Amino acid sequence: MTDRANLERGYRRLLAWYPSAFRRENGEELLTVLMSCAPESQRRPGIAASVDLIRSGLWMRLRPTVPRAARTVRAAVRLMYAGAAVTTLSLIGTIISLPFIGHKAAGLRLFGDSQPGAVAITLGIVSGVILIALWLWMARANGQGRNWARILSTVLFGLATLHLFGNKDVVQLVFVVATWLVGLAAVWLLWRPSSNAFFKPRGFTQAGHVADSSLRSN
Amino acid sequence: MILTALANSSQHGYGIITDVQEISGGRVRLRPGTLYTALDRLRTDELIEVDREEIVDGRLRRYYRLTPTGTKRLGVEATRLQTHATAALTRLRLAGGTAI
Repeated sequence: MTDRANLERGYRRLLAWYPSAFRRENGEELLTVLMSCAPESQRRPGIAASVDLIRSGLWMRLRPTVPRAARTVRAAVRLMYAGAAVTTLSLIGTIISLPFIGHKAAGLRLFGDSQPGAVAITLGIVSGVILIALWLWMARANGQGRNWARILSTVLFGLATLHLFGNKDVVQLVFVVATWLVGLAAVWLLWRPSSNAFFKPRGFTQAGHVADSSLRSN
Repeated sequence: MILTALANSSQHGYGIITDVQEISGGRVRLRPGTLYTALDRLRTDELIEVDREEIVDGRLRRYYRLTPTGTKRLGVEATRLQTHATAALTRLRLAGGTAI
Protein backbone atom coordinates (compact mmCIF):
# COMPACT_ATOMS: atom_id res chain seq x y z
CA MET A 1 0.00 0.00 0.00
CA THR A 2 1.35 3.46 -0.91
CA ASP A 3 1.95 6.27 1.59
CA ARG A 4 -1.02 8.25 0.26
CA ALA A 5 -3.32 5.23 0.50
CA ASN A 6 -2.15 4.69 4.09
CA LEU A 7 -2.80 8.30 4.90
CA GLU A 8 -6.26 8.22 3.36
CA ARG A 9 -7.13 5.09 5.32
CA GLY A 10 -6.02 6.83 8.52
CA TYR A 11 -8.17 9.84 7.79
CA ARG A 12 -11.17 7.62 6.95
CA ARG A 13 -10.78 5.96 10.36
CA LEU A 14 -10.79 9.35 12.06
CA LEU A 15 -13.91 10.41 10.14
CA ALA A 16 -15.76 7.67 12.03
CA TRP A 17 -15.93 10.17 14.93
CA TYR A 18 -18.43 12.17 12.86
CA PRO A 19 -22.12 11.32 12.73
CA SER A 20 -23.02 9.10 9.77
CA ALA A 21 -25.33 11.73 8.23
CA PHE A 22 -22.44 14.20 8.17
CA ARG A 23 -20.07 11.60 6.69
CA ARG A 24 -22.55 10.78 3.94
CA GLU A 25 -22.97 14.44 3.06
CA ASN A 26 -19.47 15.85 3.65
CA GLY A 27 -17.12 12.91 4.23
CA GLU A 28 -15.60 12.70 0.74
CA GLU A 29 -15.32 16.47 0.52
CA LEU A 30 -13.59 16.72 3.90
CA LEU A 31 -11.27 13.89 2.87
CA THR A 32 -10.35 15.85 -0.27
CA VAL A 33 -9.38 18.85 1.87
CA LEU A 34 -7.44 16.68 4.34
CA MET A 35 -5.46 15.07 1.52
CA SER A 36 -4.84 18.47 -0.12
CA CYS A 37 -3.48 19.86 3.18
CA ALA A 38 -1.11 16.92 3.71
CA PRO A 39 2.45 17.03 2.29
CA GLU A 40 3.27 14.36 -0.32
CA SER A 41 5.62 12.59 2.08
CA GLN A 42 3.06 12.24 4.90
CA ARG A 43 2.19 8.63 5.68
CA ARG A 44 -0.30 8.90 8.51
CA PRO A 45 -2.50 11.59 10.12
CA GLY A 46 -0.59 13.92 12.46
CA ILE A 47 -1.48 14.35 16.11
CA ALA A 48 -2.86 17.89 15.72
CA ALA A 49 -5.01 16.89 12.73
CA SER A 50 -6.25 13.80 14.58
CA VAL A 51 -7.19 15.83 17.67
CA ASP A 52 -8.94 18.38 15.44
CA LEU A 53 -10.98 15.68 13.66
CA ILE A 54 -11.92 13.88 16.89
CA ARG A 55 -12.92 17.14 18.60
CA SER A 56 -14.89 18.36 15.57
CA GLY A 57 -16.52 14.95 15.07
CA LEU A 58 -17.69 14.84 18.69
CA TRP A 59 -18.96 18.39 18.44
CA MET A 60 -20.90 17.53 15.27
CA ARG A 61 -22.57 14.71 17.20
CA LEU A 62 -23.56 16.98 20.10
CA ARG A 63 -24.15 20.29 18.37
CA PRO A 64 -27.57 21.90 18.35
CA THR A 65 -28.79 22.26 14.76
CA VAL A 66 -31.06 25.16 15.51
CA PRO A 67 -30.86 28.01 13.00
CA ARG A 68 -30.25 31.51 14.34
CA ALA A 69 -33.78 32.43 13.22
CA ALA A 70 -35.34 30.07 15.80
CA ARG A 71 -34.09 32.15 18.75
CA THR A 72 -36.50 30.78 21.35
CA VAL A 73 -35.57 27.16 20.59
CA ARG A 74 -31.86 28.02 20.71
CA ALA A 75 -32.37 29.63 24.11
CA ALA A 76 -34.35 26.60 25.35
CA VAL A 77 -31.62 24.22 24.18
CA ARG A 78 -28.96 26.32 25.93
CA LEU A 79 -31.00 26.28 29.13
CA MET A 80 -31.21 22.49 28.93
CA TYR A 81 -27.43 22.25 28.61
CA ALA A 82 -27.21 24.63 31.58
CA GLY A 83 -29.58 22.31 33.48
CA ALA A 84 -27.27 19.38 32.72
CA ALA A 85 -24.26 21.40 33.90
CA VAL A 86 -25.96 22.45 37.17
CA THR A 87 -27.07 18.87 37.84
CA THR A 88 -23.54 17.59 37.17
CA LEU A 89 -21.99 20.17 39.50
CA SER A 90 -24.54 19.41 42.21
CA LEU A 91 -23.90 15.67 41.95
CA ILE A 92 -20.12 16.12 42.02
CA GLY A 93 -20.43 18.55 44.94
CA THR A 94 -22.49 16.12 46.96
CA ILE A 95 -20.17 13.19 46.23
CA ILE A 96 -17.13 15.26 47.25
CA SER A 97 -18.86 16.39 50.45
CA LEU A 98 -19.86 12.82 51.41
CA PRO A 99 -17.07 12.34 54.00
CA PHE A 100 -17.88 15.67 55.63
CA ILE A 101 -21.67 15.61 55.87
CA GLY A 102 -22.03 11.91 56.70
CA HIS A 103 -23.96 9.15 54.97
CA LYS A 104 -27.29 10.04 56.50
CA ALA A 105 -27.21 13.69 55.37
CA ALA A 106 -25.80 12.70 51.97
CA GLY A 107 -28.50 10.10 51.56
CA LEU A 108 -31.16 12.67 52.39
CA ARG A 109 -29.64 15.16 49.99
CA LEU A 110 -29.41 12.67 47.15
CA PHE A 111 -32.57 10.66 47.53
CA GLY A 112 -34.71 11.92 50.41
CA ASP A 113 -35.13 10.06 53.69
CA SER A 114 -37.16 7.11 52.39
CA GLN A 115 -34.14 4.79 52.17
CA PRO A 116 -31.22 3.85 54.45
CA GLY A 117 -28.11 6.04 53.91
CA ALA A 118 -25.96 3.76 51.70
CA VAL A 119 -28.90 2.73 49.48
CA ALA A 120 -30.02 6.35 49.17
CA ILE A 121 -26.52 7.41 48.10
CA THR A 122 -26.36 4.72 45.40
CA LEU A 123 -29.87 5.49 44.17
CA GLY A 124 -29.11 9.21 44.32
CA ILE A 125 -25.97 8.90 42.18
CA VAL A 126 -27.72 6.65 39.64
CA SER A 127 -30.75 8.96 39.44
CA GLY A 128 -28.41 11.98 39.16
CA VAL A 129 -26.64 10.41 36.17
CA ILE A 130 -30.02 9.56 34.60
CA LEU A 131 -31.14 13.15 35.18
CA ILE A 132 -28.02 14.52 33.43
CA ALA A 133 -28.59 12.11 30.53
CA LEU A 134 -32.22 13.26 30.27
CA TRP A 135 -31.20 16.95 30.13
CA LEU A 136 -28.66 16.20 27.38
CA TRP A 137 -31.04 13.96 25.46
CA MET A 138 -33.83 16.53 25.55
CA ALA A 139 -31.44 19.33 24.55
CA ARG A 140 -30.21 17.33 21.58
CA ALA A 141 -33.63 16.09 20.42
CA ASN A 142 -35.29 19.49 20.79
CA GLY A 143 -32.33 21.06 18.99
CA GLN A 144 -33.05 18.70 16.09
CA GLY A 145 -36.66 19.89 15.94
CA ARG A 146 -38.27 16.67 17.19
CA ASN A 147 -41.81 17.48 18.30
CA TRP A 148 -41.99 14.37 20.51
CA ALA A 149 -39.04 15.77 22.45
CA ARG A 150 -40.93 19.00 23.08
CA ILE A 151 -43.87 16.99 24.46
CA LEU A 152 -41.63 14.66 26.49
CA SER A 153 -39.73 17.65 27.92
CA THR A 154 -43.03 19.08 29.12
CA VAL A 155 -44.04 15.76 30.71
CA LEU A 156 -40.66 15.47 32.44
CA PHE A 157 -41.03 19.02 33.68
CA GLY A 158 -44.41 18.03 35.14
CA LEU A 159 -42.73 15.14 36.98
CA ALA A 160 -40.02 17.50 38.21
CA THR A 161 -42.75 19.74 39.60
CA LEU A 162 -44.03 16.83 41.72
CA HIS A 163 -40.45 16.39 43.01
CA LEU A 164 -40.58 19.92 44.44
CA PHE A 165 -42.63 18.62 47.34
CA GLY A 166 -41.27 16.30 50.02
CA ASN A 167 -38.58 16.27 52.69
CA LYS A 168 -35.37 18.04 51.63
CA ASP A 169 -32.48 19.80 53.28
CA VAL A 170 -31.74 23.43 52.36
CA VAL A 171 -28.99 22.63 49.83
CA GLN A 172 -31.18 20.11 48.04
CA LEU A 173 -34.15 22.48 48.07
CA VAL A 174 -32.07 25.28 46.48
CA PHE A 175 -30.81 22.88 43.79
CA VAL A 176 -34.28 21.44 43.05
CA VAL A 177 -35.88 24.89 42.82
CA ALA A 178 -33.01 26.23 40.64
CA THR A 179 -33.23 23.35 38.15
CA TRP A 180 -37.05 23.54 38.22
CA LEU A 181 -36.85 27.22 37.24
CA VAL A 182 -34.44 26.34 34.41
CA GLY A 183 -36.91 23.68 33.26
CA LEU A 184 -39.83 26.11 33.49
CA ALA A 185 -38.03 28.67 31.34
CA ALA A 186 -37.02 26.01 28.79
CA VAL A 187 -40.55 24.60 28.49
CA TRP A 188 -42.01 28.10 28.22
CA LEU A 189 -39.58 28.90 25.38
CA LEU A 190 -40.32 25.61 23.59
CA TRP A 191 -44.03 26.45 23.41
CA ARG A 192 -43.64 30.08 22.33
CA PRO A 193 -45.40 30.78 18.99
CA SER A 194 -41.99 31.58 17.42
CA SER A 195 -40.79 28.03 18.25
CA ASN A 196 -43.67 26.34 16.45
CA ALA A 197 -42.25 26.72 12.94
CA PHE A 198 -39.10 24.84 13.97
CA PHE A 199 -41.06 21.85 15.26
CA LYS A 200 -43.40 21.54 12.27
CA PRO A 201 -42.87 18.48 10.05
CA ARG A 202 -40.53 19.43 7.24
CA GLY A 203 -38.06 18.09 4.72
CA PHE A 204 -34.35 17.80 5.36
CA THR A 205 -31.84 18.65 2.69
CA GLN A 206 -28.59 17.34 4.07
CA ALA A 207 -27.02 16.42 7.37
CA GLY A 208 -29.88 17.78 9.38
CA HIS A 209 -29.99 21.13 7.63
CA VAL A 210 -33.47 22.50 7.78
CA ALA A 211 -35.11 23.23 4.50
CA ASP A 212 -38.08 25.04 5.98
CA SER A 213 -38.33 28.48 4.49
CA SER A 214 -40.87 29.55 7.10
CA LEU A 215 -38.00 30.01 9.58
CA ARG A 216 -36.56 32.76 7.47
CA SER A 217 -39.57 34.93 8.15
CA ASN A 218 -39.08 34.77 11.94
CA MET B 1 -13.00 35.32 8.13
CA ILE B 2 -14.63 32.47 6.22
CA LEU B 3 -17.34 34.87 5.06
CA THR B 4 -14.62 37.28 3.92
CA ALA B 5 -12.96 34.48 1.93
CA LEU B 6 -16.27 33.95 0.12
CA ALA B 7 -17.00 37.67 -0.37
CA ASN B 8 -16.14 38.00 -4.05
CA SER B 9 -16.30 34.45 -5.37
CA SER B 10 -17.27 30.92 -4.46
CA GLN B 11 -14.54 28.73 -2.97
CA HIS B 12 -13.99 25.08 -2.13
CA GLY B 13 -12.79 23.91 1.30
CA TYR B 14 -9.06 23.92 0.59
CA GLY B 15 -9.41 27.29 -1.19
CA ILE B 16 -11.04 28.76 1.93
CA ILE B 17 -8.18 27.48 4.12
CA THR B 18 -5.49 29.04 1.91
CA ASP B 19 -7.50 32.25 1.48
CA VAL B 20 -8.07 32.68 5.22
CA GLN B 21 -4.34 32.17 5.77
CA GLU B 22 -3.59 34.85 3.18
CA ILE B 23 -6.20 37.31 4.54
CA SER B 24 -4.81 36.93 8.07
CA GLY B 25 -1.23 37.39 6.94
CA GLY B 26 -0.43 33.80 7.91
CA ARG B 27 -1.69 34.17 11.50
CA VAL B 28 -4.76 31.93 11.05
CA ARG B 29 -4.44 28.46 9.61
CA LEU B 30 -7.78 26.68 9.75
CA ARG B 31 -7.68 22.96 10.26
CA PRO B 32 -10.08 20.95 8.05
CA GLY B 33 -12.14 19.64 10.99
CA THR B 34 -12.58 23.14 12.39
CA LEU B 35 -13.42 24.51 8.94
CA TYR B 36 -16.20 22.01 8.35
CA THR B 37 -17.67 22.61 11.81
CA ALA B 38 -17.81 26.32 10.94
CA LEU B 39 -19.21 25.66 7.45
CA ASP B 40 -21.94 23.48 8.96
CA ARG B 41 -22.92 26.27 11.36
CA LEU B 42 -22.88 28.89 8.59
CA ARG B 43 -25.08 26.68 6.41
CA THR B 44 -27.51 26.07 9.27
CA ASP B 45 -27.71 29.83 9.80
CA GLU B 46 -28.25 30.22 6.03
CA LEU B 47 -25.28 32.56 5.66
CA ILE B 48 -23.63 30.36 3.01
CA GLU B 49 -24.85 27.77 0.51
CA VAL B 50 -23.43 25.26 -1.92
CA ASP B 51 -22.63 26.86 -5.27
CA ARG B 52 -21.56 23.81 -7.27
CA GLU B 53 -19.67 20.53 -7.10
CA GLU B 54 -16.76 19.32 -9.18
CA ILE B 55 -14.80 16.11 -9.39
CA VAL B 56 -11.06 16.82 -9.67
CA ASP B 57 -8.65 13.86 -9.92
CA GLY B 58 -11.47 11.59 -8.74
CA ARG B 59 -12.09 13.69 -5.62
CA LEU B 60 -15.15 15.73 -4.72
CA ARG B 61 -14.81 19.48 -4.49
CA ARG B 62 -17.78 21.45 -3.23
CA TYR B 63 -17.84 25.19 -3.76
CA TYR B 64 -19.55 27.50 -1.29
CA ARG B 65 -20.88 31.03 -1.78
CA LEU B 66 -22.48 33.67 0.40
CA THR B 67 -26.27 33.85 0.54
CA PRO B 68 -27.91 37.32 0.44
CA THR B 69 -28.23 37.05 4.26
CA GLY B 70 -24.52 36.16 4.51
CA THR B 71 -23.54 39.12 2.30
CA LYS B 72 -25.62 41.43 4.49
CA ARG B 73 -24.14 39.97 7.71
CA LEU B 74 -20.58 40.37 6.41
CA GLY B 75 -21.33 44.00 5.43
CA VAL B 76 -22.73 44.76 8.90
CA GLU B 77 -19.74 43.13 10.64
CA ALA B 78 -17.23 44.88 8.39
CA THR B 79 -18.87 48.26 9.04
CA ARG B 80 -18.88 47.58 12.78
CA LEU B 81 -15.19 46.68 12.77
CA GLN B 82 -14.38 49.70 10.61
CA THR B 83 -16.24 51.97 13.05
CA HIS B 84 -14.28 50.51 15.99
CA ALA B 85 -10.97 50.85 14.15
CA THR B 86 -11.75 54.45 13.18
CA ALA B 87 -12.68 55.28 16.78
CA ALA B 88 -9.47 53.69 18.08
CA LEU B 89 -7.26 55.52 15.56
CA THR B 90 -9.02 58.86 16.23
CA ARG B 91 -8.52 58.53 19.98
CA LEU B 92 -4.89 57.55 19.56
CA ARG B 93 -4.38 60.59 17.35
CA LEU B 94 -6.05 62.84 19.96
CA ALA B 95 -3.86 61.30 22.66
CA GLY B 96 -0.79 62.08 20.60
CA GLY B 97 -0.08 58.43 19.91
CA THR B 98 2.15 57.33 17.11
CA ALA B 99 -0.08 54.64 15.64
CA ILE B 100 -0.81 56.62 12.47
